[in-house]
Amino acid sequence: MTSENVEEYLEIMYRMKEKGIMPTTITVARELGISPASVSEMLVKLAKAGYIKHTPYRGATLTAKGEKIGKNILSKHRTIEKFLNKIGFPKNKSHEQACEMEHVVSDELERVIRNHMDHRKNIKKKGIIFLDDLERGMKARIVSIESGRMAKRRMEEMGLTPGTEIKIGRKAPAGGPVEVCVRGSCLVIGRGLAKKVIVEI
Amino acid sequence: MNGKIRIALAGNSNVGKSVIFNYLTGLNQHIGNWPGKTVEKAEGSFRFRGHEISVIDLPGIYSLSTYSIEETVTREYIAKEKPDVVINVVDASVLERNLFFTLQLIEMGRPMIIALNQIDTAEKKGIRIDHKKLGKILGIPVIPTIAVKGTGIYDIAEKAVELSGSGRKPKTIKYGDEFERGIQKIVKALKGFRSDYPPRWLAIKLLENDSEIVRMVLKNAPDAAKEAGKISGEIESIHKHSCPTAVTCEKYAAANRIATQVQKQTKKKGETLAERIHDVSTDKIWGYPVMILIILATFFSVFTFGDFFSAAIEDLLMGFLHLLEAQTGGGIILEFILGLLEGVISAITVILPYILPFYLILGILENSGYLSRMAFLMDNVMHKIGLHGKAFIPLMMGYGCNVPACLGCRIMETHRERMIAIFVTTLIPCAAVTAVILGLVARFVSVWWAIGLYLIDIAIVFALGRIAFRVLPGEPSGLIMEVHSLRMPDIKTTLKQTWFRTKDFVYIALPIIVAGTVLIRIASSAGMLATISELMSPVTVAWLGLPVVTGIALIFGTLKKEMTLVMLAVLFGTTDFASVMTPVQMIVFAFVTMLYIPCAATIAALVRETGWKRGLFITLFNIVFAIVAGGIFFRALSMFM
Repeated sequence: MTSENVEEYLEIMYRMKEKGIMPTTITVARELGISPASVSEMLVKLAKAGYIKHTPYRGATLTAKGEKIGKNILSKHRTIEKFLNKIGFPKNKSHEQACEMEHVVSDELERVIRNHMDHRKNIKKKGIIFLDDLERGMKARIVSIESGRMAKRRMEEMGLTPGTEIKIGRKAPAGGPVEVCVRGSCLVIGRGLAKKVIVEI
Repeated sequence: MNGKIRIALAGNSNVGKSVIFNYLTGLNQHIGNWPGKTVEKAEGSFRFRGHEISVIDLPGIYSLSTYSIEETVTREYIAKEKPDVVINVVDASVLERNLFFTLQLIEMGRPMIIALNQIDTAEKKGIRIDHKKLGKILGIPVIPTIAVKGTGIYDIAEKAVELSGSGRKPKTIKYGDEFERGIQKIVKALKGFRSDYPPRWLAIKLLENDSEIVRMVLKNAPDAAKEAGKISGEIESIHKHSCPTAVTCEKYAAANRIATQVQKQTKKKGETLAERIHDVSTDKIWGYPVMILIILATFFSVFTFGDFFSAAIEDLLMGFLHLLEAQTGGGIILEFILGLLEGVISAITVILPYILPFYLILGILENSGYLSRMAFLMDNVMHKIGLHGKAFIPLMMGYGCNVPACLGCRIMETHRERMIAIFVTTLIPCAAVTAVILGLVARFVSVWWAIGLYLIDIAIVFALGRIAFRVLPGEPSGLIMEVHSLRMPDIKTTLKQTWFRTKDFVYIALPIIVAGTVLIRIASSAGMLATISELMSPVTVAWLGLPVVTGIALIFGTLKKEMTLVMLAVLFGTTDFASVMTPVQMIVFAFVTMLYIPCAATIAALVRETGWKRGLFITLFNIVFAIVAGGIFFRALSMFM
């Protein structure tokens, strides 16, 4: 078992890697909100334990072992935070709460929560329709978009806001994009994104 | 008032902004980059009634958030540089979507004019717009224009001059009460916080949870950020959606309200020709043969035209050069001058016959709106390498020339996708490589092996693209784009675009081709080439199984890939390559030529688009990869050939 502190570091470093930021003493200290001196000390420990490769003054990279743990913890964090939000826990506190819970939730519990949260599966059962389920010429209304923040924002800014009426144009074969006519013009939406738009007929 | 007036053109993409820009500035324009950003910056100027008017053509975007670099550039420009007048070019046939952007521009608080463009297209669609009413509602002068015919452009200039002196700003467009109350409160909390952005705009951006603005306000006016957070919560509980979504909804509702007030939809006159072509070009079955036909026709016409003219120009100019060479003696200075001339000539023989027509056809396809249909058809294929459909466009261009392909990767929205796209385009065999494959493999081995090389290359592109996609951090983004109705491209704009792009190509390619030619010429006259090829022989001979002289050919090939074949003929003293090389050697040589290095001009383009470090990294990677893969390929081929 790794200590909570170690997990926290690896999580933050994995998150930085995802964002494309090089983890250095300074940047990690900033992310964690603690002094660079204590970060520097910890990085040395992590390197000794084989979780990271650390070059002083240059930065640190996760080893395969460290990355596995970081990824696991971050995934737990996200699952828990989503779950907390869904059951009505105050949004501004859910991040902190998840930060504490991520270290005690087992892999199995995470899997169960995630399955429970899987929108697509759940919603399919309840008969909710996604944009990509529609056929050419069908009309529908947007209910909500369940994608990542950037893509959601983009689609909304292109006019796919909740309540908007749309008409399906052509669909490219073999999982290609869908043509959606909205607000007097036509958009092309990749199939992956179309799968995340909930509509009603 | 007789002074300088600065105006900026802003609007969605493909609304005719560039056409208006061209009309206003004529040839008096300069295309460059925004400082530190790989976003095209088009500036120009003209004189009008004694005023010196400078114009900036801002990138075509749909919103003022930070989704793409273009959006950031635009909002920073308007806020910091504060142009005297912003001309919002609006596509009259898609009024509602365009007004969504107009509302955001209004919030930036600069004096504005709306150029209601393409009113002819709108009328064909049966849409009539009361432009005076629109002007009254927004408090902005609205001028109906048909940019491609030049209609209304004079009025724009006139209004811009008139408005620049008055400093009259547009009306504030009000949203629902709960929003307005919230905005007021945030604006109040922002009092004392000084920034380039107007407070109302900031308040709305805070409600949209715009990460850049939130960070800025959090640092300097944390109370306002807190207030915004509280109000967001209130709005969320009223609207049952996240606050950014609610704000976007509200803006679109306002755009919709205004659009319905001013436009009348009359009956449309049946299906237009453009719509019928659109149907065929995006058809499940017909779309693909049409696309392939268009691509093949493009390359075929460019190549036939190019081959003919290139040979003619080369004969003429090189003949002249040889005459000069014969007239004078040797010497390093002479070699230097001759090298300069030869470099210029060889650049001309590429640019005039190939690049110019290539850009022209590409411009026609682009301005007609066909390229977005290609992105639609190829989206799922491109997803295999983590890119979306738009990436197909630079990839396809790569088969013509890697330089425009590399620059064309700007079409991708995020930095990460740009990098992957640029990386894979350098692996695409350009026209020059095609000349080598055809002239060596297809001619002396078999056509099937030539086709085989292309297929192997596609496999490599996909394999390496996938790896790059896995290795680079970040999330892939999906395809979201507007499809415009197909239309006849404007000839003047297309020609000007071609001219400026070609000029850009000259800037990138000419210096490095000339410098390289001089260098190689001097090295060759000093007898260094033989030594270098000897030094290369462990790689070329032992590992790749090629004749020693190919080292020299490969060095020349860094300037222009087709030079490899030319040099091979010179070095062997024959064009019957079958008599001096085995089939395996010819195939391996073509394979290595295809991959071993992006040519000099492409490296220059790479450096410009990605910076020194990444550009050189990609170049080095290509060299190492081509050598390693070439050697393995040679051994595999030797087993059964």
